[in-house]
This record gives sequence, structure tokens and C-alpha cells, in this order.
Amino acid sequence: MTKTFTRKKIFFCAVILLVTFIMLIIRLSYLMIVKSDYYYEKAEDLHQRERSIKAKRGIIYDRNGVELAGNKPVCSISVIHSQISDADKVVTALSEVLKLPEENVRNKVAANTIREKIKSNVDKETADVIRKMDLDGVMIDEDYKRYYPYNTLASKVLGFTGADNQGIVGLEVFYENILSGKPGSILTLTDANGIELENEAEGRIEPVPGDDLYTTIDINIQKYAEQAAKKVYISKQAKRVSVILMNPQNGEIYAMVNVPEYNLNEPYKLIGANTTGMTDKEKQDALNQMWRNFCINDTYEPGSTFKVITATAALEEGVVSENDIFNCPGFRVVEDRKIRCARTSGHGTETFRQGIMNSCNPVFIDVGARVGVERMYKNYDKLGLFEKTGIDLPGEANSIMHKKENVGAVELATMSFGQSFQITPMQLLRAASAVINGGKLVTPHFAMFSEEHDSHERTILDFKERSGVIKKDTSEKMKDMLESVVSEGGGMKGQVPGYKIGGKTATSEKLPRGNRKYISSFMGFAPANNPQILGIIMIDEPVGTYYGGTIAAPVMAEIYENILPYLGIEADYSEKKIKETMGRIYIEEGD
Amino acid sequence: MAKRRPTPVRGNKKRKKSITEKPIYFDYQFLFLVLFLVALGLVMVYSTSSYTADLKTGSPYFYLVRQGVFAVVGIVVMLLTARIDYHFWKKFSLAMIVVAIVLLGMVIVVGKAVNGSSRWIALGPITFQPSEVAKIAIILFTAHMATIKAARIGDIKILVKVALFPMVATALIAVENLSTAIICAAVVFMIIFITSPKIKQFLLLGLGVVALMGIFLIVASYRLQRIKVWLAPEKYEDGYQTMQALYAIGSGGIFGKGLGQSIQKLGFIPESHNDMIFSVVCEELGLFGAVCVIGLFALLIWRCVIIAMSAPDLYGALIVVGVITHLSVQVLVNIAVVTNSIPPTGVPLPFISYGGTALLGLLLEMGLVLSVAGRIKIPKEY
Repeated sequence: MTKTFTRKKIFFCAVILLVTFIMLIIRLSYLMIVKSDYYYEKAEDLHQRERSIKAKRGIIYDRNGVELAGNKPVCSISVIHSQISDADKVVTALSEVLKLPEENVRNKVAANTIREKIKSNVDKETADVIRKMDLDGVMIDEDYKRYYPYNTLASKVLGFTGADNQGIVGLEVFYENILSGKPGSILTLTDANGIELENEAEGRIEPVPGDDLYTTIDINIQKYAEQAAKKVYISKQAKRVSVILMNPQNGEIYAMVNVPEYNLNEPYKLIGANTTGMTDKEKQDALNQMWRNFCINDTYEPGSTFKVITATAALEEGVVSENDIFNCPGFRVVEDRKIRCARTSGHGTETFRQGIMNSCNPVFIDVGARVGVERMYKNYDKLGLFEKTGIDLPGEANSIMHKKENVGAVELATMSFGQSFQITPMQLLRAASAVINGGKLVTPHFAMFSEEHDSHERTILDFKERSGVIKKDTSEKMKDMLESVVSEGGGMKGQVPGYKIGGKTATSEKLPRGNRKYISSFMGFAPANNPQILGIIMIDEPVGTYYGGTIAAPVMAEIYENILPYLGIEADYSEKKIKETMGRIYIEEGD
Repeated sequence: MAKRRPTPVRGNKKRKKSITEKPIYFDYQFLFLVLFLVALGLVMVYSTSSYTADLKTGSPYFYLVRQGVFAVVGIVVMLLTARIDYHFWKKFSLAMIVVAIVLLGMVIVVGKAVNGSSRWIALGPITFQPSEVAKIAIILFTAHMATIKAARIGDIKILVKVALFPMVATALIAVENLSTAIICAAVVFMIIFITSPKIKQFLLLGLGVVALMGIFLIVASYRLQRIKVWLAPEKYEDGYQTMQALYAIGSGGIFGKGLGQSIQKLGFIPESHNDMIFSVVCEELGLFGAVCVIGLFALLIWRCVIIAMSAPDLYGALIVVGVITHLSVQVLVNIAVVTNSIPPTGVPLPFISYGGTALLGLLLEMGLVLSVAGRIKIPKEY
């Protein structure tokens, strides 16, 4: 047996040991309980590789739920070097099926990278062929590509998306936040060399699909308007034909046409132009030009259609009444300038109403002068002509007006019949809406509501309205006078049998003057007493006859003839109406 | 081997007692703890090494098989040693320490470099670490000398006589592997401390050692770097291994990710089957598993302490004290390093870490303890 002190010492040491063990356990507990989350997160960061999953982009529908912009499943094919067992077979198969040069594929297969993309945007059928081959090391990832089922339909309104499905122009970019959604990600665990581990639970953050967007566009109206515009675009060999059709009561746009439209599925293909010999910059400029939406991106001199605004201002200010008598000798001298009327022989003595019907410049020069600059600008302002319309499309232009202090008698006179300043067609249409809807300044727009992808929860998109910008009485008078423009005046070719149409024609010579380049336009609404639709058509640089009343008004009449019944506006074939209409046809034929 | 039935007595007829005389008592509790730890070690070696072994050698069992062979051989050696009366080693202890010193000298000259430091020596196809041989030699020699000189251990000359060879061996180990040398020095120190009836001198010596270490740390600048790394491992490139171990430990949480589910072993912790294996134990088995493993070691050491306290003679007690010191210092240092509680140094975790020679040596030591335990005379009335 050992001595007592030996045993005591051994026991003493053992106790010290025990204490040390307990201290280590405390240290471990601290690391594994208190600091656990901290180290766990750090370790996860180290182990996880993130691959992002594109979110499905929201669909753009027309007002009836017809898909205007959707998603087409496509695949991207890539190879994983370390998993390839038979490189030659992979090279031959991929180059054959994907129609790629064999050398190209071989280089990518040989590249010692973790993942090499062979081709993206491969359609599903082709990808399925490859999938059936069951090649080791070939990965097929599904993806979505933006797809426009109607190709050219409303191209300048819808716009298109880029490689990452991000909106580039049009509604696609304006409603990017609604449509894009949130991309998700796949988190895979990897070892220290970055090799993904199999059989490890993948962390997956699901992508949030974008919300669908329901627009005010009506595909049938849009199609019909496009067809009509295209017809006149060809027959008049015009540079461009634009049509806007909207609801003047609330600003909903049914159709916006800019012929020539381009194919949204091939937005980088220039139409009607030879790209060979073009520098990249020239080509890009040409593309930008092709993508432009004339209705909102560009300004023009509205010409006679603007007389609607002048007449409204005059009635608003009470400086004129329907039956006031004016005299037109075919011109008017303002200060040192002799301003001609369209009819050089003059309209003679006429009432204000007749002045509008005849689109007589001297009448409007006189009326404008009566209103005066101050009050004229006040009315322009009330009708929103100094501001952008607030339409939900990017790149909207604003009007170019004289500074008020620079407006002399000559400027006022020319402005009264729509010259010497520029506005966008959309601004004109918005102002005209207020004139005919009883004085409500609406915001023209395309979006109606967005719909959440899963819950189908709808969010109504609101647009500003300003009521009472003009008096109801003024509005009533204007509707009545504009109806007579179509029924008896210069806009007679805008008539639609069975319907009361109000409207105003215009023929504006483009700047610089004297080049004999015109924009012929017609702005019309129906039914004239309670307008449900307001439209404008602009034919840019027509060849041959260029009078708005002759070439633009019939196109709008043709459009209305079809879409008014479609909109549920019933025709009224009362005896008087038929007689009038028949009479017109008879007279024309007899002419 | 562990049968209670008397077995035929083999041995030298010239002796009164055979060296393989059947022990009076066999400590099955102790044996169980050892076998459990060895088995756990094999499981963890397989768990930690299979992925990297598959990548490097093409076989996930590469390290497991090697460790398994050593474990089987080691258990046989342990049981054989348990049968041999520990007094048998007295005669050979001088020869053993001399051989150990020679081998340690050789390793410095012709050693095979593995992982940057030459601690291995090749004997034909087998490579082994002379330091493992030296540990056993130091325990047996110091215990023997201390027993002989027990009465006059306080004498400096006697003390030098007892400690000279072990300290030479320790110094030679220190050339290549400081942490093993510290363990050896601790073994020598503990054996002498237990032998001596005095306490004060040892406390002074202890303080002296601490002071020396302080001076050493200040002088050797790269060790200071090690201190900086220890204090803020995330700021230094050298702290990589420590940080990886901490990630593993911390991400284990209370119940761990489950056996085999460690991610950190997939190349993040370099050589995770070696010194850092305890961090993977923590990651896979959680705090619960880690405390269980520490508990196993504590039980084993406690069992050794009981054996040491009831050893039939001082020599037996001192052998067990040497083994306890070796075992416990290694466990403490390893876990402290893995948890970044002390500056990093490379010490394997006994029984669990991969390493054939180390396991064999440890099992031999366990055999010695069993041998001592077997010769405890239990009073009849007990």
C-alpha cells in the first residue's frame, strides 16, 4: 500500500483535473449555446453557393383578359466539366441538336470551369430532345422568356424586355415594379472546393412572381384601328400613321396605334431599313426611332384641331356666342402680317358656329384677339396644356409654348388656329376630353389594375382627375358645334351612319414651311351628345391629297363604324338621320 | 483474455512468480471505457476522413482501415500487457529510455517529414513516431527511478539522477514538437511531485516554469504571433484552422447535426481526422455529445485515479500517475486548443484522433494501468 500523502496528492491533482474539465465544458457551452447562431451563420455563409432563380414576370392583359405579353418557357443548356463522361458524344450531340459549330461546343466542353453555358433561350422541344439523350454532365435549366403573342400589336405601347427580363421601353418599363417580381435563389451546400454536395437539403428561396397587369387596351379595337391605320399608311404612302382611341370620361385608352409597328419578339430587327453599312450608333439611333411612340414622345403643331381649344376659351370667357357674326375676306391682317384663310376666296359673312364648321382662320383670329393672351393662357393651363398628361408610359414630351410675355398679336392670332407652338397628340386629346366630358381633366392611362399572381388579389391603379376645369354649359355648346362640323361642315367624311359624331379636322404644314409636308388629322368623338369614345388620327406626310377632312376623317369613320356597335353604343336610324346620310351619299355621288 | 477462469501458467521456471501470472482482479469497467473510446474514435475517424479520403485515395475507408488495424493490434497489446506483471518492466526501463533517446536522435537526423515536421521514422514499411515510444519509456523509467530513490527524492543530486534521461528525451522531442515535450515534462514532474512528500518546492517550480514560459513567449516572436492569432483568429490567415474549428463547434448547437452530417469536415477543416477531430464531434453530436465524450475521459481518468490510489505499491501508483498525466494533459490541451481557449498547438485527442502509433502507445499504457489494477489486493471484508 502506498503512503497516505501520495494518495492525498493524487486525489488533490484529480480534483484540479476535474475542475479543469468543468471549465472546458463551460467554455464549450458558451461556444455551442451562446455563440451557436453566430458561428452557424458564418459557417452557412461559407458552405452555401447561391444560384438565383428568375421570377416569372407578370402578364400584361388587355381589358378583356387577353394576353398581350406573356412568358414562354425556354431552356438554357450548360455543361459541367467534372461530370462529363463521354466528351466526344456530348460535343457531337450538342452541336448537332443546337446547330452550333462543333469547334465552339468542343472548346466549351473542354473548358475546366464549374459550369459553362452552351446556349440559352433554347425552346422546350429542342431541350427535350437533349434531355432524352441523357448525357452525363449536360444540364438543362428551365427559364422564361418574354413572349408577345400578337407580335406587332401595340408594340410602341407595350414595349419589350431585355436579356434579364427587365423592361426596356413602354409599359414593360413603366410598370417594372409591378411586373418584375422578386427573384428567388437556390442555396446549395458545397465542400471546401466549391463542389456542390448531393443529397444535401437545398435551401430554396422561392421567387415571387410579378403581378399581372390588366390594361385598358381592347385588343379588338386596337386590332381594328391598326388595320385601318395600316391601310391608309399604305394607300397614302405616309411616313407614319398614329391613332389614339380613348374614353373621354375617364381617360382609359382603348387603342394607341403607331404604324409602322415593329415586332416585339424581334425588337432589334430594323423594319424597312437596310442595316448593312450602318455604324453601331446609326443602327441604335434607327432602333430608338423605330421604338418611338409618336403619340406621346413627340410634339407637333396641331393646326385646326386646336380651334376646339380656342373656341372653348372664348365661350368660357363669354367673349363670343354661337351666333355672333364674323366676316372672312379670305385673309386677316394682324399688325404687319397678312394671315390667309384656307379658302383664299373667303367665307364671307358667317356666324361663329359656321366659322367652326368652316374652320375659318379669320374667325378664330378675331375670337383669339377677343379672349386675349392672359385669359387664353389661363384656359390653356386649365386644360392641362402646360403640363405632361401623366400617361403611364415613359418618356412623355411636354408642350413647347411661347412665353406669355412674348406673345404679341401675331403670335396670339396664329396660336388661335393651332400654329406656332407644339404639343403632343396626347395633350390635345386630354384637353379635348375635358371640353366634351363636361369639364373633367382626366389622366389618360393604360393600366386598370394589377393582380397578385397567387391570391388573385387586385389592386386598382388610380389616376388623378380634376373636375370643373370648364363650365358644363361650355361643354354642351362645344359638343353641339363640333357635331355640326361633322354633320354639315368640314368634317363631313367623318360621319358614321346611325351615329352622331362630333369632330374637327386639321391639316398642318410641317416645319419648315414650304416643303409641302403635312400632317393630316381628324379628332372625333361619339356619340356627340354623350361622348363614350374620343379618337384622333394623324397621317404624317401623306402623298397626294393631304386635307385632313378628306383623308383622315374617313379613316376614323371607318374605325367608328365598327367599334361603336362593339362598344355597345346603339345606332339610331331615325328617319331624319337616314335621310341626311342618304342625301350626303347621293350628293357626293352626284358631285 | 478477460476470462476469470484460471489459465495455464506459462513462464520462466527459475522465477518464483511467472510474469504472466493471472491477475487477482480485472478492471472491466476500465476496459469498457477504453473499448468504448476506441470504438468512438473509429467512428469519428471514419466520419471525418471518408469524404476527403475518397477524393484523395479513391477509398472512403482508407483512414478507417489503417486506424482499425492499429486498434485491433493495440487492444491485443493492451490485454497482453495487462497480464504481464508491471514489475517486469523495471529491468528494461533503462534500456527503453536509452533506445528512445537514440530513436529521437535519429528522427532529428533522418526523420521522415510529414506535414512539415519530421516526427516519423520508417522501419521497413512501418512509419512510427519515436516520441510515442519515448512517452512510455519516460513513464516507466521515471516511475522506476522515483520508486528506488523515493526516500531521498528531495536531494538535488538524486533528483537529477531520476530526471536526467527523461529530460534528455523530452528536450529531443522539444526540437520538433513542443506540445509533446510539454506533456512529457508534465509526466516527469507529476511522478516526482507525487513521490515527494514536499509541496512548497513544487509550487515554486511551477511558478518558475510559468515565468520561463513567459520569457520564452516574449523571446520567440513567432510564438507571439501565435498569441495574436489566438486572441483574434478571424484577423489572421494563420487563424484559419481555428476559425474553421469554431464554425464547426458553434454550428453544432446543443444536439448537433447528427452523426456524419458535418459540413466542416468536407475540406474546410484541414485534416479534420487529426488534431481538430473534436470540433467535428461537436458539430455532429452537439454539446450533448461533446460533454459525453469529455465525460468518458473524466470517468476513465477517475478510474485511473482510483487505481493509482489503491495501487499495491508506489511503483504501480507512479506508473498510473504517469499515464493519467499523459492522458489528461493531452485531452485538456486538445480540447482547449480546439475551442480556442489556449493558443493553438498540435496535440491529438487520445483514442479519437487518427494516428496509429499514438493509439498503440496509449493502449499499451492502458494495459499497464490494467496490470497495476489487476494486482490490487482487495481486503477480504470488502
